[in-house]
This record gives sequence, C-alpha cells and structure tokens, in this order.
Amino acid sequence: MGLEIGTNPMDMDAIAARLAADFAAALTDVRVQEPDTVVARCDRAALKDVARRLKAHAEIGYETLNFVAGVDKVRHLESVYHVYSWKTNTYLELHVEVPTAAAEVDTVCDVWPAADWHERESWDMVGIKYLGHPDLRRILLKDDFVGHPLRKDYVDSVENHPHA
Amino acid sequence: MRYPKLEHFQEPNVITTTADFIFSWARSHSVFPFTYGLACCAIEMLSSGFARFDVARYGMEVFRPTPRQCDLMIVAGTVNEKMAPVLKRLYDQMSEPKWVISMGACATSGGPFYDGYNVVNGVDKIVPVDVYIPGCPPRPEALFQGLLELQVKIQQHKFVAETPKPAALTPAPAAGEEA
Amino acid sequence: MPDQFATPEPDEAVKLALRRIEESTARGEGSDVEGLAFNEVVVNMGPQHPSTHGVLRLVVTLDGELVKDVIPVIGYLHRCKEKLAEKRTYYQYIPIVDRTEYVAGMNCEWGYVMTVEKLAGIRPTRRAEFIRVIMAELNRIASHQVAVGTFTADLAPLGTAMVFYMFRDRENILDLLEEVSGARMMFNYFRFGGLRYDLPDGWVEKCRDLMKRLPKLIDEYESLVQDNAIFLQRCVGKGVITQQDVVDYGITGPCARASGVAHDLRRTRPYSVYPELDFEVCTESHGDVFDRYQVRMDEMRESVKIVEQALDMLPKGPVQLGALRAPYVITPPPGACYTGQENPRGEYGTYIVSDGSRYPYRLKFRDPCFCNLQLFPKLLSGNKIADAVAISGSIDLVLGGIDR
Repeated sequence: MGLEIGTNPMDMDAIAARLAADFAAALTDVRVQEPDTVVARCDRAALKDVARRLKAHAEIGYETLNFVAGVDKVRHLESVYHVYSWKTNTYLELHVEVPTAAAEVDTVCDVWPAADWHERESWDMVGIKYLGHPDLRRILLKDDFVGHPLRKDYVDSVENHPHA
Repeated sequence: MRYPKLEHFQEPNVITTTADFIFSWARSHSVFPFTYGLACCAIEMLSSGFARFDVARYGMEVFRPTPRQCDLMIVAGTVNEKMAPVLKRLYDQMSEPKWVISMGACATSGGPFYDGYNVVNGVDKIVPVDVYIPGCPPRPEALFQGLLELQVKIQQHKFVAETPKPAALTPAPAAGEEA
Repeated sequence: MPDQFATPEPDEAVKLALRRIEESTARGEGSDVEGLAFNEVVVNMGPQHPSTHGVLRLVVTLDGELVKDVIPVIGYLHRCKEKLAEKRTYYQYIPIVDRTEYVAGMNCEWGYVMTVEKLAGIRPTRRAEFIRVIMAELNRIASHQVAVGTFTADLAPLGTAMVFYMFRDRENILDLLEEVSGARMMFNYFRFGGLRYDLPDGWVEKCRDLMKRLPKLIDEYESLVQDNAIFLQRCVGKGVITQQDVVDYGITGPCARASGVAHDLRRTRPYSVYPELDFEVCTESHGDVFDRYQVRMDEMRESVKIVEQALDMLPKGPVQLGALRAPYVITPPPGACYTGQENPRGEYGTYIVSDGSRYPYRLKFRDPCFCNLQLFPKLLSGNKIADAVAISGSIDLVLGGIDR
C-alpha cells in the first residue's frame, strides 16, 4: 500500500560494484562501510548529473536525501551528501571535494527538495556556496553574522559576539 | 519583615502597617509570570506548573504569553546573539514594576555552552536580573525556592517611596537662595 | 519615544515575504477590493509565542485568516553544538547531546554513543543493551506525553484536561529515570560500551508496576478527546503529508508513519537488541493531524510492550566494559561514520568525522525536526491560522534539535 521498503534487497558489495560500473568516471573510490553504507567520491563538476542519475536509477533509486554536511578539511572543503535508497534499504555517502578559495558547487535542490535547508546550513556554517539554490541565505545565525563558524580558522569576534 | 499574625485575622481587627507593606505583600503573592521558556528549562518550568509541582500554590499559575500583562520574566534557557534583541524588546514591553528570574545555568552564565561563538554568557548582560537559579535544568523545587526568594525581594520593594512627588508639594527655592 | 518601542527594521525573512507579495501583485494576483493593492498582511508569529513550542519564528503572510505563505526562521536557539564538539572530548560531549532534543534525552544520547561505538569498534555489554532499550522506550513514552499534551494544549489554550493528565503520569516515568541516572531530564547516563550505573534494587518491580498501569492511562487519555466533535473537526483532514512528501523531504518518525510509510528504524535498520523484541510498527493511512496523534498514542502502547519484554529478558552481567569504569578518553581511528536512531520524532542521526585524536573532527546531527520543518510552507499554506497552529503542534518540533 504505497511506499515499500526493501523491495530489491542487494548485497552491499553488489551495490558498490553496480555503482562503480554505472558511474565509472564520475564516482571514484567506491567502497562499502558496514553494515549498510556505500561511500564514494564524486567529481564536483559531475555532481548534478550524478545526482539525477542516482535518483532515477532503476534498481537502486536513491530517492531521499538524509542530509548535506559541510566539512572543513583544512586543505579543501567537503560537501557530504547522505542519501537513502528505499528499494535496497541502504545508504550512500557522497563526498564532493570543494576548493577553499572558490568554494562553489552545484545545488541538488532540484533533484532532492530536502536539500534546500541542508545546503543553507552548509553555507551558513562552512561557507560552501551552492550555485542555483533558490534562496541561499543564513539559516541558523543572524543575518549580519560575518564569517563561517565551522571553518577551522574561524576566530570569535566582537562584532559577531558582543555579549561574550 | 513584620507579617500580620494569623491570630490577628480571627476577629474583626484593625492592623496598622505601612502602605508599602500591603502593596508589596499583595504583589508578591500574585505574580504573573511570562512564559519565556527558550530551551530545556522551559520543560521544567512547564512541569512545575502542572499537577505534581503546582505553582498555583504560590499564586503564580497565571502564565501569560504577552509581556504586557506580566510582572515576572522567567528566562528559562540559553539566550544567543540572535535572540538577545528579542529578549531586550520583550523586557521593555513589560510595565513596571517588573522582575527577572534567570533560570538555569545557561541564563545565569552561559551554562554548558559558555564558549560558543553565538551564546550570551548570562542574561544579566542584557536585562537586570533579580534572582538566579542554578541548575541544568533546575528541579521544579529549585524553581520554587527561587520564586520564594523573589517573593521576599518583592516584599522589600518600596512602592510609595518611589512614586515621584508632584512638583507643587515641593516648595521652590526662593529667588537668590540656594536650593 | 524611546528607540526600543519603534518597529524594528524588516529583516531578511520579512523582506522576503514582502518581496513575494510584490511579485504576486505584479503577476496580477493582487486585491480585488477597491483602493487596495494587495490583501495580504505579514505577521510575525514568534520567536516568543505560546503555540510554537519553543523559539520558532514563523513569518506568516495572511489574507484575512487564510495563510498564504509561511517562512520559518530558526536559529534563535543555536547553541553552537557542532563547534563545541570539536572542543570537547568524546566523553565530555555526552551531556551536551542530551540537550539536543531535550524532551527525549536518552534517545539522543543513544544515537551519539552508538556512532562513536561504531567508529571505535566498541561493543556494549548485553545487559547494557537491554537496559538501553528500556530507557529509550520509557523516554519515548514521556516524550509522546509532552508532544501530544502540548498539541492538545494548543487547540484550546491549556483548556484540555489531557495535558494535565499526561504531565502527571510523565512524572512517574521521570521518577524511574531519576532513580537510575540521577536526573529528571538531562540524564548523562549512556557510556561507550555500556551505561554509567546499573539498575538500583527494586527498580524492576517499580517499572513493572508502572507498565501495568500505563495502558489504562493511555486509554483514559484517548477517551478525553476521541469523541469530541470539535477535536475531530479540527484534526481530521488537516495538514495532510503525502507519501511523495515523505520521500522528497526525508520525513521520518510518526509524521511519516501516519502517511502509511512503515519506516521505523527499529525495524528497517535494526540496532541493538530490537530484532529480538516483538512489537508492531504503528501506521495510519491518511497522513492528517488526527493520524499523527493516533500514531503517537499507539506507539506509547507498543513502547509499554517493549519495556515489559525487555524486563523479562534482562540478562545478568555487567553494564560496563572492563573491570572498572568505561573508558574516559577514547581515540577512534580516523574515518567517518553515520548511524540513525529512532527518536520519538524520527530518524536522529549522528555523523562523526574522526581524525584519530581525542576530539571529534566534525560532528553533524541529522535532526528529524529540522527535516520535518522544511515541509511547513507547503503544509500550512491554504489553511486558516487556527488550523496552522494545530498542524504545527502535530508535527512535534523541539527547537533544541532544529537549532542545535
């Protein structure tokens, strides 16, 4: 009666192999993290295309986005997408490397509507700009906050924090 | 503090006391708190309003959601930089006399989040606080102790002394004389 | 007039609402009343509001009583939890996780502790697993009591008896949790590999007594409202979440289950000893406000069943790893890990990136209320303002989790 979970149970290694085969150039370093996650690196330029194809994949459609996290790895930033497949009941964790200087990556809001607020939070906290986002403004911090606090080089300032 | 004794009320009696005492005594036993529950302490404030820990025993069950009808603002929870102007605004909308209780470690001094980039370390940086209640979250009994301390403080409030006197009652200094 | 009484400058959210009104007027959807350019009014609900369950601000565009648009503004309780994780050791961070979804502290701690255990490769003891299930389910009942109680309190401002009855019985559960952990709300009870304390003497009997009394109490709660024509009129058919919404926005928890999606992490991605326990996943089919209320009431009954089974199956043994206390300082190997846990509000996930040191490198919470709140503009538009209040109460938001 509607949305079923796990209609196409697949072995984790089979899923990883299938993804590596179908997305040969765009997804690299596909590996399995027990018990239920496939982790992969995605090329920044190919993200939108990969996202569309992942969602529309016939056997392992990753239809739901769990979260988008921004991570500051000092040498570069990373945008982590965690998506869920109802058919296989497994997760996929996509890591997209973003250079710190030009921290931009395509939005996936048109593929997964849930990305809206998650990308806003990633912009707010880490400073990754999502091109094409309908309304990219701060979500958790006040509008005139300067800087991105979850960056490793963020320093507390009097303008942002007058009542320390 | 001179309370009228219970024996005094058993017969028709005349009790002499100050106007300050009567007003403050009445005020302290019917405080209207403001539901300013921000975070976890708000749930303990709610619990203290319900059946087991009944705040109505102290005459304080009339929690009003609008500051214009309240005397007491119980700041229950963490205040951050985004919320600080809102807090100030709501405090200003309360009419005198008004009191503030800072409930919980976060409102007192930032609490477990004191080193956050966004956390105001103590609500007394924004509004004047009358009673601090430590705890994370303070038990309803601790909230009641704070409310009782506040009652004592309210009873010391000098109502009559603070009313500004009309100018006509104060003789103006004669021309040429020192005031 | 002093400055503080002046109307503040419109901020980004209000400017956005005004822009949208201008755009819709330019499109020709303006007012049909002589002399008015547009019918809409932008009203601020919050951040201090009796019905928004915390410091949520809703910038509502109203046409009379009809809600045209809602822009939720959050961040009024942003306590920098994710940054604080980088300054605290894994062990020091456990009490802070409690304060995320403060109504369901045991569940939040379990989510965090589970992720760190997975990263570090620690397996908790079997007795600890069963006690964890008992604590989480007791906290689920308490959390639903708060959720449904405050929801009915919204419908008629504190006028229903339901909230008083529910909070009265919640005190009994909090007594049990206080005996075990020492605190009524912020428990700080879970540890890596087990728990802080074992159950005190006589606790199991007290818990069994309460579990015998609870089903009748839950029936009593239902009897207070289920035949009330006004309650039914206000709840049935309002605020429908479709299955497509569940997929698109990642809605989880009772909100998803009320729409017929049997997504319960305790069954679909089971963890701990849930595979050994027998319970139903409660679903309803319409996805409206009444169904969400019904799912929560049913889940309370299922939780009672789970607790009774866990008490029967409770093995003997230690609740902590090692002869003495659980490790204070753990340094998980470098890597990243995510686990989801079934919070009373949905999938509460913790994503931790570790760099091999004593402090987490990056900690991200996947909060169920944050994801559910995204649906608000779609869900509340087109309803009257009173229905909007009922719908937002039924989604069960806890701002501590949304804002972190």
